[in-house]
Amino acid sequence: MISLQPLTNPKPSLLYVHPFSPKPRTKFKPISIHSLLQYNRKPQLAGETPRVVVITSGKGGVGKTTTTANIGLSLARLGFSVVAIDADVGLRNLDLLLGLENRVNYTVVEVLNGDCRLDQALVRDKRWSNFELLCISKPRSKLPLGFGGKALIWLVEALKAREEGVPDFIIIDCPAGIDAGFITAITPANEAVLVTTPDITSLRDADRVTGLLECDGIRDIKMIVNRVRTDMIKGEDMMSVLDVQEMLGLPLLGVIPEDTEVIRSTNRGYPLVLNKPPALAGLAFEQAAWRLVEQDSMKAVMVEEEPKKRGFFSFFGG
Amino acid sequence: MSSIWTLHFHASSFPHRTLSREVQFERYLGFACNCKNCSRRSTLRKFIVRAVSSDDDKRLPDEVIINNSVKDTAVKPQQNPVAKFQESVSSLPLLIFKTGKYYGTSFAVGLCVVATMLIIVVKGYAARKSRYNRPGSVADLVRRGQLRSDRRGISTPLKYEDPFNNPMVKVSKSNTTVEMCGKVYRLAPVTLTDEQQSVHQKRRSRAYQWKRPTMFLKEGESVPPDVDPETVRWIPANHPFATTSSDIDEGLAQNNVYQKHGVPFRIQAEHDALQRKLEALQNEQKLNKLVIDPAAAKDFERPLKSHLKSGDQVEQSISNPKLSPNPPKSDRAHNSCEQNNL
Repeated sequence: MISLQPLTNPKPSLLYVHPFSPKPRTKFKPISIHSLLQYNRKPQLAGETPRVVVITSGKGGVGKTTTTANIGLSLARLGFSVVAIDADVGLRNLDLLLGLENRVNYTVVEVLNGDCRLDQALVRDKRWSNFELLCISKPRSKLPLGFGGKALIWLVEALKAREEGVPDFIIIDCPAGIDAGFITAITPANEAVLVTTPDITSLRDADRVTGLLECDGIRDIKMIVNRVRTDMIKGEDMMSVLDVQEMLGLPLLGVIPEDTEVIRSTNRGYPLVLNKPPALAGLAFEQAAWRLVEQDSMKAVMVEEEPKKRGFFSFFGG
Repeated sequence: MSSIWTLHFHASSFPHRTLSREVQFERYLGFACNCKNCSRRSTLRKFIVRAVSSDDDKRLPDEVIINNSVKDTAVKPQQNPVAKFQESVSSLPLLIFKTGKYYGTSFAVGLCVVATMLIIVVKGYAARKSRYNRPGSVADLVRRGQLRSDRRGISTPLKYEDPFNNPMVKVSKSNTTVEMCGKVYRLAPVTLTDEQQSVHQKRRSRAYQWKRPTMFLKEGESVPPDVDPETVRWIPANHPFATTSSDIDEGLAQNNVYQKHGVPFRIQAEHDALQRKLEALQNEQKLNKLVIDPAAAKDFERPLKSHLKSGDQVEQSISNPKLSPNPPKSDRAHNSCEQNNL
């Protein structure tokens, strides 16, 4: 049944379309009208807003910033308001991945010093207006140690109280390591996403970081295994995702296969979740974002690639 | 024997042809024509064939012999166009129809080639059309990021493709395989249980004892008595951030973060300081003008009196050098009087 809701007519609508039933001869009754969106299914937001999520790993180079950019934009595409904070005080990269490097004029350091307001430091993405970026500092400026954690808490409080409304997600891109930058980034967080790769060095660092997060009171920790190569898993040269889970004991948020499109998207400043047609890693990021919204975890993982069975008409494509 | 050319074109097969003449395809009976060719007359109409001379001395048993006849009544003026047409037709590539068993194969191959080219052209056209609507339109501004696409009526609303249920992701019926972006992967269920998770948490709580550092001290500083030493983080002296530990006032910084409207604090403070400095400079300039003006010095001058001692007047001029660069006239007058008296 398809029905239309009137916008200006205060009287109950008499517009009633029912293709499969005869028109009633008696007088019309006002019917509550709602639209059916059968193909625009959206995830149900779970938890309290704002959901402050820190994306950390311990080891550097595993894909934290890539994960932050792609999951943040996926959430924005789903209709949620997102503020991404690049908490790396000395080395700033998130703006590069998002293609916003020429638009960052003010950072949190300028806000703290009184050179600008918080809304002036927020960079709104022109592609998705409900996605905003906030950088902690420029490479040459300094933030006092021990002060950054309080500053981030003030930031979260200020974002809650702003006129545009509370953002649905505040995603913090944590720097590598477990020193002051890490402490600063995890201070306001309620949940964490741990990014790791299926190699032993990354797993050891991830385990330590998980222990520190749990000591700090963050219990909702989920894992994303990045740069998975199913061909190496099949040849038993790489740990499988189930092995990684067995070592860390964390629920899985997503499994991201190795994809060359990641580097191309970095070069373009265009996160790969926006690619059309979507790349394999982009689809995986979108699925991870969906699970993050619903606070769900993976129930089955891709283990290895199988040869595709080709039908008679396969040479025509598809 | 004159050569008569007959060609039959179907307008539907060759839409780009603009020939107004209608020609007929006929078998030329005067020549040795293969019976098999005669039977295939109807099928050969669609193909471009080369006009072959119908002279007697040339016999081409394996070639289709065509006739060309012109229906126009005016023969003379059309002889040149006919000749031109004959030349153009004769310049077309020769498509020789071989009799025998290879005829069906070549026909099928030709059909496939034409169909493939048609599909490629149509796909390319559709792709090009979807990519580029019109050159120089507002869509270009949206594409360049100068305009927000989500606030304009020209953009189509997002039909979000479900990442779990779209043509790029196909799960098999038995849930054992999934096809993503053309690649098939085998699925295995996750085996982590809640007990295993709690075991890992206990292991980590025993292995990693950590208290959040709340105080950052430089090397050499003493620990305050009421602070837990385990919550102190020591900063090396050569750390790049070590010099900025006490630059920012916390209360002021917090107020700066919470500010929603108006001019930021430091900008306002700098503006106020600049304003005060400008006012001070202006005031100082006014004061300087009052001192330097010679017209105002007359108010401080005493009237000329002859009985005054010269020493007093000299003292006055010495004590007030700024009042007048030259000695006052009364002194000069008095000196001259003294000189005169002498």
